[in-house]
Order: sequence, then C-alpha cells, then structure tokens
Amino acid sequence: MTAIAVRTAVVSGAATVLATLIGVPIGYAMARRTFPGRTIVLGFINTGMGMPPVVVGLVVWILLVRSGPLGNLDLIYTQRAMVLAQFLIATPIVVGFTTASFQALPPHLPDLLMVLGAGRLHRLWLLAREAKIGLLVAIMAAFGAIVSEVGASMIVGGNLERTTRVLTTAIVTETSRGEVERALALGLVLLVLSFLVNLALTVVQQRR
Amino acid sequence: MTDVEIEQVRVERSGRIVLDVPALRIRANRTTAILGPNGSGKTTLLRVLAGLERTHHGRVRRSAPPSPAGVAYAFQEHVFLRRSVLENLELGLRLRGVDAATRRARIAQSAALLDVAHLFDRRADRLSGGEARRVSLARALCLREPLVLLDEPLAGLDGRIYARLLEEMPQLLKAFAATTILVTHDPQEALQLADDFVVLLNGRVAAGGDKHTVATNPRSREVAEILGYTSLEADGTRIAVPPGGLTPGPGGRELVMVVEEVLDLVNHREVVGRIGDVRVRVTAVDGHPPPRSGERHVVHADLFYPLD
Repeated sequence: MTAIAVRTAVVSGAATVLATLIGVPIGYAMARRTFPGRTIVLGFINTGMGMPPVVVGLVVWILLVRSGPLGNLDLIYTQRAMVLAQFLIATPIVVGFTTASFQALPPHLPDLLMVLGAGRLHRLWLLAREAKIGLLVAIMAAFGAIVSEVGASMIVGGNLERTTRVLTTAIVTETSRGEVERALALGLVLLVLSFLVNLALTVVQQRR
Repeated sequence: MTDVEIEQVRVERSGRIVLDVPALRIRANRTTAILGPNGSGKTTLLRVLAGLERTHHGRVRRSAPPSPAGVAYAFQEHVFLRRSVLENLELGLRLRGVDAATRRARIAQSAALLDVAHLFDRRADRLSGGEARRVSLARALCLREPLVLLDEPLAGLDGRIYARLLEEMPQLLKAFAATTILVTHDPQEALQLADDFVVLLNGRVAAGGDKHTVATNPRSREVAEILGYTSLEADGTRIAVPPGGLTPGPGGRELVMVVEEVLDLVNHREVVGRIGDVRVRVTAVDGHPPPRSGERHVVHADLFYPLD
C-alpha cells in the first residue's frame, strides 16, 4: 500500500509540477496580452478545466498505443504515460486560475515593475508573488483533480500492479474483487495524501 | 543629459490615433509640463518616453529608443506591491543594484522631503490617496534618474498638502531630478512647476516651447482655454484674457457684460454674466452699488492676447 501511495504522489506530483511550469507563464501571457480571438482561446481553456479525464486518457492512449502515431516511443502502460495524461488534465486548470489571478492584480503593476527596472523573468516572479494566493489555488485545484482521477490513469497506465497502479485504480481493483475494507483503507490513504499536500500548499499560500 | 527628442511618434488604438507627434524636442535640465484636456494623449506621450508604449507594427518610432533604465516614473494611479512602504521604496533601488547604505540614505532623504518616513511599516496598498501619492513621488525621486516622468503628481492631494507640495516641488525636482516631464491638466500648477509647456490637443502638439512664449502667444482658442484663459469676441476680433484679467469699469480693451447674478462671497462680491456666448466672472468694486440682473455692465481687460 505504501508503494502505491508513493507512486501516486510521484506521478501526480510530477504532472502538477510540469503543469505549473508550463501553465503559469501561459496564464500570465493570457492575462497580459491582447490578440484577435483571445476570448475564444480563453473559452477553450475554461472548457479544458472541466475536461473528463477519461476522454483525455483515451486520446493519449490512441497516440501512445504501439500502433499509434507515437507508439515507437514505447510509453504506453508506463508512469510517464500517466504523467503525460495527468499533465494534459492539469494544465488547463492551472492556466485558467492563473489567468484570473494575474488579471485580478492592479493593471499598472507590470508597467510599474518595468519602469523600476525588473527584467521579463523577474517581473513574472514578482507578479507571481503578488498573485500568490490565486496561483496556489491553481496548483491545489490541479493536484486535486489529477490525484483523484481514475479514468486516464487506468487507460494509459493499464493498472499494472508493480508499476502503474495508483491509489484510485487500486480502489477500483479492490472493490471489483470484493475487498471492500482494503478499498476503504486505500481511500483513506488517498484522502490523507491529498490533505497533507494541500496543507503544505496552504501554509505557503497563507504565509505573509 | 541631452535633450529628449521624439520623431515620427504615432500611436493608434483600435484604429483611432491617440498620439501623432512628427517632431518634439524636450529640453534637458528643465521641467516641462504636458498640458491638455482629458484624452488628448498626455499620458500616452509620457508612456512613450518611458518606453512603456509598445510599437504596434512600427507605428511608434523614436530617435533613440527609450528604455526603463535611466527613467523614473510616477504613475497617476496608486500602484504598489502588497508589501510595506519601505519595501516598495527599496525595490527600484535594489533592481538597480544600489548598495544597502546608499539605499537607506536616498530613501531617508526623499522620505523626509515628502513626509512619508512614518509610513515605512504600513502596507503600501492600504494607504490613503494623499499618502499613496507622496510615497509614489518618493519612490520615483529616490531613484535619482536623469529623466523623471510624473503623471498628475499632485492630483487627489488635500488642500494643505497640495499647497505645500506645489510650493516645494520645484526645489524637490531641482534636488532629485535633472530633466522632469510632468502631466497636468491644471494650468496654474503648470505655471508654478514648469519652465516649458507642451500643449496637446487630440493627440497632436498644438503649442510648445518656453512657458512665457506659449502663455503669451496662445494663438488658437483651444490652446487659450487649456491655459485657463477666457476666450472672448471683442470688436470683431477674438482675444484671450488670463484668469482674473477682467476688471469692472472702463479701461484697456472694453467689453460689455450682461449681468446674470451677483454672488456674495463674504469678503468680496462677484458679478456673473455673459460677454457674447461666454460666461465670465468679475470681482465687483467695493463701495459701488452692485449691478442688477439683466443690466449691461462695462468691464475691461488690461492684459490680453489676440487669437487667430
């Protein structure tokens, strides 16, 4: 059970980190830039925030399966495939919340940092600190969505006992076997894991 | 510091020209006031000078590309990081690599002049309007940059602090800045603070140069009105009369006012009426019975400027 819990934390943690690294700069750009069709793009991103994980899993499976266009990468039924699928689920969530957080900042703040002499990356860092509360909501929401999803992990990971079984797919397996007590215990572990991660993020969020 | 030169600057937003300046020279080591009505492009010009206005498809061109380095800018809006006043004051100096001792000295000096030292520990984004304005000015001035850009630096200050800062600002700018360009819509403020004027109208420079030259030769009715003058029709010609330039009774250039009402302002009375289609106010002469509503009252202007 410990191995499954650690695997869950590693897979969902890696996907959250990747989604944050990619999603925060995209969210910043969406908040700052104006371009034709911006509202439509934001509409797609906001739709993506509620995308069914099982659909994402299916698309990733079609791409990675041995006969698929990326089959030669030999990623299907690996943890990396699960990270990829979870990354695709988490990124629109991070982008959506990040865009809203940066848009809520005083509109002249980026200009102020520019005239004070902050370079592009430094500006992003200082603005991210100003938008910290919203950005941590983005990270918590993204982690919460992927640590609790089961469809994508099941399809692209294959629920292999020693390599790709995570807490959610393990709960499905144990329930189907009639091992309700074990399933409940796994559910409790999932809740504790989720709580500990969110508690750590909340401490960072609320620190002054 | 060399003069600031602008060539072929054109800024458009949503197909509308907000600034169109073929050529403009702003003299170094002086204070220049940019005057104009709302929406005339004053702030846009300041942003162009700060390097904040992005060139859209090559529409903004500058002789020497300005960049934030070498420029201090005080925004019209109160913009701060959600941190203490001291941290906000320090940020620009830190980003410029100024050492801690110099930072402390510069902040202490500008904070003393602007009376913000007692606010250092307060959250900058929770200051009152007047406090925020002073902290914003202190932040710009402590950078000691050769070019200082101030957008409505005294807007929103209450009477006492406004009067004090208006009086102290010229010395403050002399101590902290080489070349200052400030935006204002108040001609009296501009006269008191600036050496040179740039008058903007619909994004175009309508007048510019030494303040004496601009203020004594307004040429057009629009420029005269931006300078706070009253534009009047007299004997078939149009003249601009500076504020307070109309006096009751015969004299200089005589005009006839149709009286509308007399205001009792305790220490003096003001006669309100119309000369042609323009509403004017004239201070009544003590000891004379005030004119009645509907009466024709002769007034005169000793100082006036002919308009085209």
